[in-house]
Amino acid sequence: MRKKLKMPSIGGKTIILNVVKYLLAIIIAVIPLIPVWSMLLWLAVQSFSGRVILGIIPSEVTFKNWRFLWSPIKMGLKEYPNIWPVTLNTLFLALGVTGLVVFVSTLGGYALSRMEFKGRMELMQFIIALHAFPSIILLIALFVILNNLGLYGKGYMTLVGIILIKAGLEIPMATWIIKGFFDAIPWDLEWAALVDGCTRWKAWRTVILPLVLPGIGAISIFSFLSGWSEFLLVFTYVEDEAYYTLPVLIYHMIGEFKFIDWGMLAALGLFFTIPTIIFFSTSQKLLLRIYVGGIKR
Amino acid sequence: MVKVILDNVSKFFGKVKAVIDLNLRIGDGEFVALLGPSGCGKTTTLLMVAGIYKPTKGKILFDDKDVTKLPPRDRNVGMVFQSYALYPHMSVYDNIAFPLRLKKVPRNEIDRKVKQVAKLLRIEELLHRKPSQLSGGQQQRVALGRALVKEPDVLLLDEPLSNLDAKLRVVMRAELKRLQKELKITTIYVTHDQVEAMSMADRIAVMNAGKLQQYAPPTELYNKPANLFVAGFIGAPPMNFIEGLIKEINGEYYFDSEYFKLKLVNEIGEIIASKTSETIMGFRPENAKIILEEKPNTIQGKVYVVEPLGKDIIVNIKIGDMIVKILTRPGAELTPGQNIWLQLDMKKIHFFEKQTGKAII
Amino acid sequence: MALKISRKMLPWIFLAPMLMMIIFSWIAPVLLTVYLGFTDLSSKNFLDFIRNFFTENVHLTLENFEKIFFAKDPYVVEALTITAIYVVSVLSINAIFALVLSIAIAYFVRNEIVSMLLRVSWLIPRIMPGIIYALVWNWFIDPKYGLLNTLLKFAGVPEALLPESWLLSPPYSQILMIVVNGYVGASFGMIIYTAAIKSIPTDIINAALVDGASDFQIARHIIVPLLKWPMLFVISWQTLSLLSSYEYILMIWGSGGGGGYAGIARAAKVMVWSLYSYSKAFAAEEHLYGYASALSLILVIVGVVLIITYFKIFGFRRLMEPSRIEV
Repeated sequence: MRKKLKMPSIGGKTIILNVVKYLLAIIIAVIPLIPVWSMLLWLAVQSFSGRVILGIIPSEVTFKNWRFLWSPIKMGLKEYPNIWPVTLNTLFLALGVTGLVVFVSTLGGYALSRMEFKGRMELMQFIIALHAFPSIILLIALFVILNNLGLYGKGYMTLVGIILIKAGLEIPMATWIIKGFFDAIPWDLEWAALVDGCTRWKAWRTVILPLVLPGIGAISIFSFLSGWSEFLLVFTYVEDEAYYTLPVLIYHMIGEFKFIDWGMLAALGLFFTIPTIIFFSTSQKLLLRIYVGGIKR
Repeated sequence: MVKVILDNVSKFFGKVKAVIDLNLRIGDGEFVALLGPSGCGKTTTLLMVAGIYKPTKGKILFDDKDVTKLPPRDRNVGMVFQSYALYPHMSVYDNIAFPLRLKKVPRNEIDRKVKQVAKLLRIEELLHRKPSQLSGGQQQRVALGRALVKEPDVLLLDEPLSNLDAKLRVVMRAELKRLQKELKITTIYVTHDQVEAMSMADRIAVMNAGKLQQYAPPTELYNKPANLFVAGFIGAPPMNFIEGLIKEINGEYYFDSEYFKLKLVNEIGEIIASKTSETIMGFRPENAKIILEEKPNTIQGKVYVVEPLGKDIIVNIKIGDMIVKILTRPGAELTPGQNIWLQLDMKKIHFFEKQTGKAII
Repeated sequence: MALKISRKMLPWIFLAPMLMMIIFSWIAPVLLTVYLGFTDLSSKNFLDFIRNFFTENVHLTLENFEKIFFAKDPYVVEALTITAIYVVSVLSINAIFALVLSIAIAYFVRNEIVSMLLRVSWLIPRIMPGIIYALVWNWFIDPKYGLLNTLLKFAGVPEALLPESWLLSPPYSQILMIVVNGYVGASFGMIIYTAAIKSIPTDIINAALVDGASDFQIARHIIVPLLKWPMLFVISWQTLSLLSSYEYILMIWGSGGGGGYAGIARAAKVMVWSLYSYSKAFAAEEHLYGYASALSLILVIVGVVLIITYFKIFGFRRLMEPSRIEV
């Protein structure tokens, strides 16, 4: 049997320091989270219940808050657009942005990561420096450009215009992120493929591309969510309610319903958040990597 | 199998000269090691033979065929990378089968060859695994399998053992050598480890700063180093160097350093003196004897420190303010500060020109 | 020969779509903003301008900048003050609070699961779609249904100190503005800092422990000094972001107030410079596109000056590797 070592008794100072340490951690890291947690809890609870006490204790379970899914929403005489076409608009915007961003930034990211050309360093600096041009400040000029191209007030064409702008705004960051994924593939692997008998193109397709699939997946999710929750561009450029997206619809409804029907607002909010929740619960690691690696406010 | 000829090959990356005017002839079925410190251009040379880098100048020939401009896939070379470069998204089986699939070899033929190579390398039970589930030694075998399965004309190995632990390295060293002799594939092996090169290769090309220093079989490299760099690089502990002048007094030749004078064998002295008088003498730690009383033509010194190695000991001896290392069997007790004398084996000392570093004898 | 040209061209073929998109979404608007800033473009001559870029109805003028610099627009000073309060307060939350937070999460809390849970929780404000963030805040501060006033009362804040409306009565509205954006910013800072803390070699911390340092001393003497570059990075990067960010303010005050964001933001004294510029162009009854461009041009210039300074201070490489530790 091992002989027990005689431990020096833990001093009172150490205990106090430890208590202070955890107290500090709680005050700084836990207490400020109470609003955040309670907000999430409220969103979940309120959407399925009638009255709630203190915002988080439900009184009755009901699906009445979800009635917007099958019947139009009315406020006095005003009838809001049906939720499904609006959802489709949102989906159209999000998918359009995703497709464009993935295509453009995968090409660009590969060139930046693995090709030699004049001005490569300068181009990378320029992409980062774009952050200095506050993108949403450019809305006025983009408004003029949309008008000039005849894309303003033209229903789906306006949404196409917004897709172009939104994708353009996301592309520098997405390119930067996917470039990181290309950078992470060792040159050895590409060389090995060449020695094994690949052409450059074949090596790209059979070895490089499968390895950056996580990166492509990441920027897909990333740009989908970013298009899905885009507010400002639609709010500014779309006047016809028929071409609203969900964020803009919700924006207008908060003001109208906040005094009478928090339940429906919560349900609508939860409905809108479903894709975000799905993506974050399934590919959290991937997205964390982006948020950590990519520089995005 | 083929013989490989590098004819005046140079490779520059912008202003950096990685390889300068390299000439090498590698015989059919020969095992050649490219040896040198890191950054000496040996990996660049290997990548040029593979076809990944194109030489800035010069030609590369496989037998009589000029392959300088051929892409890697048309050269039929197999290569093992330092990092092994296994495709992480493919199983071991698919990794090994990959080169054959690219050649459009029939399915059952692929299967037969993959299994054959797997058997040769004893990795049959690993075929369904992913590279990330393998140990370093197993990954190394898989990489070797992928290189061998296409029955390459030339096998290129880039520091294949450097990521293995010391024990495994010794095992794999013997195994690689056996495999190479069995398959008789012309092999180029890049390493910075002289023991690997000495123990495995038929011939060694020592490189430094992009230039070939000497190209010879291991024993010749050891016994007749062409210059100071090779002399100092090969052998552990390294050769001792002492600067001095060659002087002729009454028809006898002496090596005169700051701290001692040594009488040379007449014929040797004559040859050296005919070339230069400023020289550097070199002798290997094992080519000197320590004696405890003064004899003629010995060097006096003091014991500085003794490093026991088990079978042998290394004795550090202070001569003036220089320290030389002597490898010897443990014998009489040596204590630091003790006076001793060194008796050199006069047939096994080397002389280099001080100006150029070239060997004279 | 043809092959050689194509090899040189290949990267540019790959880059072309990206460059085109950047020109469309960034470069053209920046140039156009510069031009518009010197015009009197408004709803009156807007249609003419759209039809003909060189219409005579749009005049070149310096009036916009006179309005800004000689305070002919009395609201400019107030917008400037609010922006200063906003940027400085949120920045200190980002840089300093997030630092302490990260040390607490990544170093003090040793339990991996708890640490992970806290990190994910702190990410929520950033991950949540903006409009939902606005929605839940609108609920949270609601005096009747929300939880905020109840929590504050529970914490012992006397009822007399609580505002009738967090949204509308300054300075409460300004506190709200800072807190709402502070959470999002703290997420950003936390991401950068925790990554940096995790990359400090454990040997260094163990060495300090052996030397007899307490956790606080390690935080103070080892971790904080090593986070010098990440801190500078967070501050510089966030300054740029904050100057131009008004989306959350627009969404919360706009939706909470029933849509007329410009009036409400003014009344609540949360009209930051960028929102002011936006409202001058797009709010009902305004549509002063020229003046709004001039206002945003000021921000563009500030941004460019700042990023050039950062490139000078950090060098490109360091700016790109914010989580790297420099010993």
